[in-house]
Amino acid sequence: MTLLRRAIAAIGVAAMIAAGLRIRGTGGTPPRTGGWRELKGPDLQ
Amino acid sequence: MTTSPAGADHDDAMASSADRTTGDARVSVVGIGATGARAARQLASCDEVASVVLSGHGDRPDALRRSLGERASVGDPFVGAPAAVVLAGPAGTHVDLARRAIAGGAHVISSADALADVEGLLALDVEARAAGVTVVAGAGFAPGLTCVLARHLADWVDVVDEIHTARFGTGGPACARSHHEALSSKSIDWRDGEWVRRSGGSGRELCVFPDPVGSVDCYRAALPDALLLRPAFPSAERITARQAANRRQRLTAWLPMLRRPHPEGRIGAVRVEVRGHREGAAVVEVAGAIDRPAVAAGAVAGLAARWAVSGRFAAGAHGLAAVVDPAPFLHELAALGVRAARFIGSD
Repeated sequence: MTLLRRAIAAIGVAAMIAAGLRIRGTGGTPPRTGGWRELKGPDLQ
Repeated sequence: MTTSPAGADHDDAMASSADRTTGDARVSVVGIGATGARAARQLASCDEVASVVLSGHGDRPDALRRSLGERASVGDPFVGAPAAVVLAGPAGTHVDLARRAIAGGAHVISSADALADVEGLLALDVEARAAGVTVVAGAGFAPGLTCVLARHLADWVDVVDEIHTARFGTGGPACARSHHEALSSKSIDWRDGEWVRRSGGSGRELCVFPDPVGSVDCYRAALPDALLLRPAFPSAERITARQAANRRQRLTAWLPMLRRPHPEGRIGAVRVEVRGHREGAAVVEVAGAIDRPAVAAGAVAGLAARWAVSGRFAAGAHGLAAVVDPAPFLHELAALGVRAARFIGSD
């Protein structure tokens, strides 16, 4: 019984850590230079 | 330049489609939701189309008919030999309806963004060619505008090595449900000569969309972009698609939707990145657009239907990247208020 409780607790802790890792952080760094310009004129030739 | 839809086969198919060209075309719109209503509104006010038949559930078709005037009617979308049928209904309904339209000799413009629908529509290629009609799969914001932008960017490079698309936001409720399901389903990407399926919600990447959306984390999801782009860009070694999601959406992706979707959606954005070579040097070209997704999807679907009835698409089943001449298409889209932008500088 003790073993079962410990196993369940370990799985729960692992799941919480996995969920935390999954939602934290970011996928990269935004660009520091550059910008958007409408496609028109020569861009649409 | 990269692959182009030009060629003898294309010319034959174009001639076949052109036989159906008419200035008094009848076009049916199936599914009068946020996207279908926009497409119908555009079709009812253009020169190529004489009448629009609206088909859908509830009171929406009648309400839209009243606002569109005498060029619109409500009825069976397959009666009266329509020149084209625009499919803007829920996921899972497009393939059977497309088959009926082809049997009746009508072009099919589908705004489907579900993997199964797009796979089924592309599988109708032989039937469509035999009937001399065009089936355009994924004629919406993403896929759709993304396919046109990919074709346009590809024309700026000599060889296309990689294409990466990303989208942010949703259109109407059906689009929001599709977005929710996509995030918990397997993605499909083209990678080094084979199809690769990975878990939705994985592969986080910060993607830069046009302002005011800006930089947003995007993830793999069950999106059909690679299926649509791969035939148009055989030289590409990698074709991937991602969609934006916040923490709540990622954590609850495996649950039923916890909130009722917004009826019209809010601001959305798409982004396409083409990596390739120009004059021997590696180049990266990035383009994107922002708009309310349902508005932009309706504009793309409506414009694609107009081009189809004008005989400007080759017969067969394709994504827009395989059949569209991108510059004039983007020019006409801009006149409809859907303007694309190019990222200049580092990324």
